[in-house]
Amino acid sequence: MKQNSSNLLGFSLDKSQSTFIYTDEQLIARFQSGDEQAFTELVKRYRDRLTNFVYQFLGDLEQAEDVVQDTMFKLYEKKHYYREIAKFSTWIYTIARNLANTELRKRKRRKTTLLSQMTRDERDYEIPAIQSDVGQAIQSEYVEKRIQAAIKELPEHFKTVIILRDIQELSYDDISNIVGVPLGTVKSRINRARLQLQADLNDLR
Amino acid sequence: MNRYQFEDLISEYIENELPLSKRKEFELYLNENPEAVSVIESVKLNLKKIGSLPKVKASSDFNEKLFRRIKSNSSDLLNTESSKHSIFGFTPIHASMLTGLVIAFVFISIQLFYPQSISRVSGNDNFVAKETSDLTDPSLQVPKELNPDIVEAQKDSTNSPLKAKQKKDFSKKIHLVND
Repeated sequence: MKQNSSNLLGFSLDKSQSTFIYTDEQLIARFQSGDEQAFTELVKRYRDRLTNFVYQFLGDLEQAEDVVQDTMFKLYEKKHYYREIAKFSTWIYTIARNLANTELRKRKRRKTTLLSQMTRDERDYEIPAIQSDVGQAIQSEYVEKRIQAAIKELPEHFKTVIILRDIQELSYDDISNIVGVPLGTVKSRINRARLQLQADLNDLR
Repeated sequence: MNRYQFEDLISEYIENELPLSKRKEFELYLNENPEAVSVIESVKLNLKKIGSLPKVKASSDFNEKLFRRIKSNSSDLLNTESSKHSIFGFTPIHASMLTGLVIAFVFISIQLFYPQSISRVSGNDNFVAKETSDLTDPSLQVPKELNPDIVEAQKDSTNSPLKAKQKKDFSKKIHLVND
């Protein structure tokens, strides 16, 4: 079973006490009581994961990084809003997801949606048929693009859960908390999303 | 098991989360439907491909940018805080000093350029003072005998010293138990 292993990672604020392990929740508690180094450690733990997560929504690395910067800035500014009733990872993913959605809405308003861009990209890739002598690197790049395009074409509620489950490898419980829907609904959405991807990518086999 | 029930259970089957009885039922369906096996294989393959997608990472100067932003924001906050305690950009002490100076300047300017208006004001004061002093002049006062109000007041004996003496002083006679 997939699990979020972040809480098991070790961290020492004092190098001489390298055996002491802080969970994410302990780190945010330390940060709430004024320890800035704990914040630095949380940034270190989550910056890449969140960048990868947001990138799947936006498809633009620079913008994804800006959104993660906003997320971390919000974490810094609103640290006291976190209560230990939820896991820290759930909280930070929720912030990142909301900010990514806001960015997507802004794009839609500007009528420059990524969806239309990706459709163009996909069309570009659909023109040449894959030849048997195409190099391995080119083929895997093509497959990647097709998968990413297929994920982006998914309805919003399917896309979020599939990214959280199959790319971010979060548990069903965590996804349920982040998305704010019951566990059964999460499982059902993931299953439907996988089936839709299977139908969309059937020709890749 | 029908097609819809099969589709609903695909993820749970792949992730090994089906109870034994359901799993047996599912596998029976797979044995009977070769296209269902193909769907399962396809979903598994997609999951593998999705899992192997390259992971993007934050740039190397991510932390630097973040901390620069935090620093600039906190200095902005400090500036906002200091501007909250100022009056048109001046601290309260400087603002009151400036107000005093402005008032003094206006007063001195009036004295320099309109001296007549100041003396007229002081002349009026003299007039009022004169009127008041006239009232206290004994030569202008009416004799007490001719003033009916004074005569009436003298007849009223309420405040006469004799009556006042007759009043009892209870403060010396009343003693409380614990006094």
